[in-house]
Amino acid sequence: MLRVQNLTKVYPNGTQALKNVSFEVKDGEFLVVIGLSGSGKSTLLRCINRLIDPTEGKIYWDDQDVTAASPAELLRIRRNIGMVFQQFNLVKRSSVMTNVLSGRLGYANPWLSLLGIWSPADRERALKALGRVGIADKANSRADALSGGQQQRVGIARALMQEPRIVLADEPVASLDPVLSHSILQYLEQLNKEGITVLCSLHFLDLVHRYATRVIALKDGLLVFEGLPDEINRAKFKEIYGEEAQEVRAASFEAPV
Amino acid sequence: MKNRPPVWRIVLTTILIAVGVAILGFSTRVSQIDFIRLFRDAPKAKALVTSFLTPDLTTRDLQTTTIEMPFPIPCGSAPNGTPIKSGPRLSTSVPCAAAKDSFTLEGFNLAPNAQIAIRWNIPKKGKLTLPYVTTDASGHFSAQLDAKQIAVTVDGTSSSIQVDSLVPVGNLKVSQSVKDVLEAMFVTIFMALLSTTVATIIAIPLSFLAASNITRRGAVGTTAYYITRSFFNIIRSYDPLVMATVFAFWLGFGPFPGTLALTVVTTASLGKMFSEAVENIDPGPIEALQATGSNRLQTVVYSVVPQIVPDFVSYIIYHWDINVRISTVIGFVGGGGIGYYLSTQINSMIGYHKAGTAIWAIVAVVWAMDFLSAEVRKRLA
Ligand SMILES: Nc1ncnc2c1ncn2[C@@H]1O[C@H](COP(=O)(O)OP(=O)(O)O)[C@@H](O)[C@H]1O
Ligand SMILES: [Mg+2]
Repeated sequence: MLRVQNLTKVYPNGTQALKNVSFEVKDGEFLVVIGLSGSGKSTLLRCINRLIDPTEGKIYWDDQDVTAASPAELLRIRRNIGMVFQQFNLVKRSSVMTNVLSGRLGYANPWLSLLGIWSPADRERALKALGRVGIADKANSRADALSGGQQQRVGIARALMQEPRIVLADEPVASLDPVLSHSILQYLEQLNKEGITVLCSLHFLDLVHRYATRVIALKDGLLVFEGLPDEINRAKFKEIYGEEAQEVRAASFEAPV
Repeated sequence: MKNRPPVWRIVLTTILIAVGVAILGFSTRVSQIDFIRLFRDAPKAKALVTSFLTPDLTTRDLQTTTIEMPFPIPCGSAPNGTPIKSGPRLSTSVPCAAAKDSFTLEGFNLAPNAQIAIRWNIPKKGKLTLPYVTTDASGHFSAQLDAKQIAVTVDGTSSSIQVDSLVPVGNLKVSQSVKDVLEAMFVTIFMALLSTTVATIIAIPLSFLAASNITRRGAVGTTAYYITRSFFNIIRSYDPLVMATVFAFWLGFGPFPGTLALTVVTTASLGKMFSEAVENIDPGPIEALQATGSNRLQTVVYSVVPQIVPDFVSYIIYHWDINVRISTVIGFVGGGGIGYYLSTQINSMIGYHKAGTAIWAIVAVVWAMDFLSAEVRKRLA
């Protein structure tokens, strides 16, 4: 269970990215965050594992205060929280295998891992993770030799190496075409069914309706909606997305996927 | 411009052209351009180029066959030599002669087309070697000799004429100058290697200081950033040769100041290139690795290092490559190595073939380094 309480983030340049945001993520949920670009979705997700330090507010992970965690404790907390990125964030020149193994660094022997030495168990785990996303045969390719969809699958395999209890996915399909988007989200859905909590930001509403178990919406850093996907009616939609609504596929109301 | 009357424009254009021509004329004078000399001295250039094109590469062992024949000066001071009728032999137009007389010396059935050394073998005084002659295809030579005063008979023992035919035998061997050139080349290559290595070691930490995405935080960081950056830019504006002159002024000529100068310039140049590589890092993977719970060092090794190493290696090899060339030139002005060897041979006026050897060695090494560095950089891309 993840609890976010009164979270506020003010960037050094004065931008208020999050304003007093509070919500909960229950174990086993597929919670989707929606909102226009610039509404604070990435900031919110990065505050949860403290890639960004929040200005005010608390985050509790199973009653442990993430915001007050010492550096060493923070590493242990992060180990349980997988993360998937819009730009995949792979080391392009490294092999797929190395990229996946790097997801295990939080568990590995620090000194051996610096020398690139991995236990056979970890290597096997990496191959299994690649197998789960259907690209075990690419283990020895360079990461940048893969297509966008394949790179995001490597990103998911890397997160799986952490044996995470929750996965944060920051617009994981925004760089992919619609067909690939479904394939990637289906992997996340599969993980969710196996018990991993998913907190995912998405842009397109049709995807929200298809995958989310619950939705929250941000607008200019404020939490403006919390509820079930079906509760996002035309009015709510206009409220969240404003005049730019047309671009975010209002079509999904006329012909739901 | 548009509104000026056409007359003005013509006058202005004329003045501009006149100034241009004047500047060109002046430039020609100060650089002492002399096309006539270019043609007049062409034979000199031709001799030079010919020597360069026939480098001194190989040598062979010489086998010496000696024939000796007594030749009393003056006649009767000692017994004449017994004439031989067949086989390799010498014969003189007179069996003996008075001092200062001239006579002809002939040799028969010697080695064909061989170099012949003719010597007076003078009792108690040693040998006097005359200019070399060459045998014809049938092994015959003939030479005009003087009965020298110095070769007169002493105590009843006459001087003798000694003829050594020198025949190359055995396989071709590399010549001494090839060995010298190789040795000098190694000095140059290692000068470049040493300066590049030391420069790399200094440049790596400095480059992180000069990378805006790493250092430019807070007052201290920003100051460090600007100081390192200015240091790089100031040093880089000096040519290595100028730097070498500065160090030579301090430490005298030799490989040491040359290597030092090269190190300083390479540090600045590598530092600048490294810092740009660091600035171009994709921050995404760093963020991703932090998110997995890896510690700082693990994050750097797994996300920063793979991104910069290929660039760093390719810059290092590139600098080693150009440093071999630069240290050749530095050597030329006294810095040791192949450049120094080359300048010595050219200045000696007789070492042009050896200079040719050096030039070919430089061409070979520069080509090889060029190829190697291009190849490695291609692999790393
Ligand atoms: N590092 C930063 N420094 C200053 N402002 C930032 C920074 N990152 C994001 N912002 C600002 O914070 C707001 C929220 O950004 P972000 O969390 O990226 O939104 P989203 O992911 O929904 O597009 C935006 O106005 C953005 O310009
Ligand atoms: Mg974002």
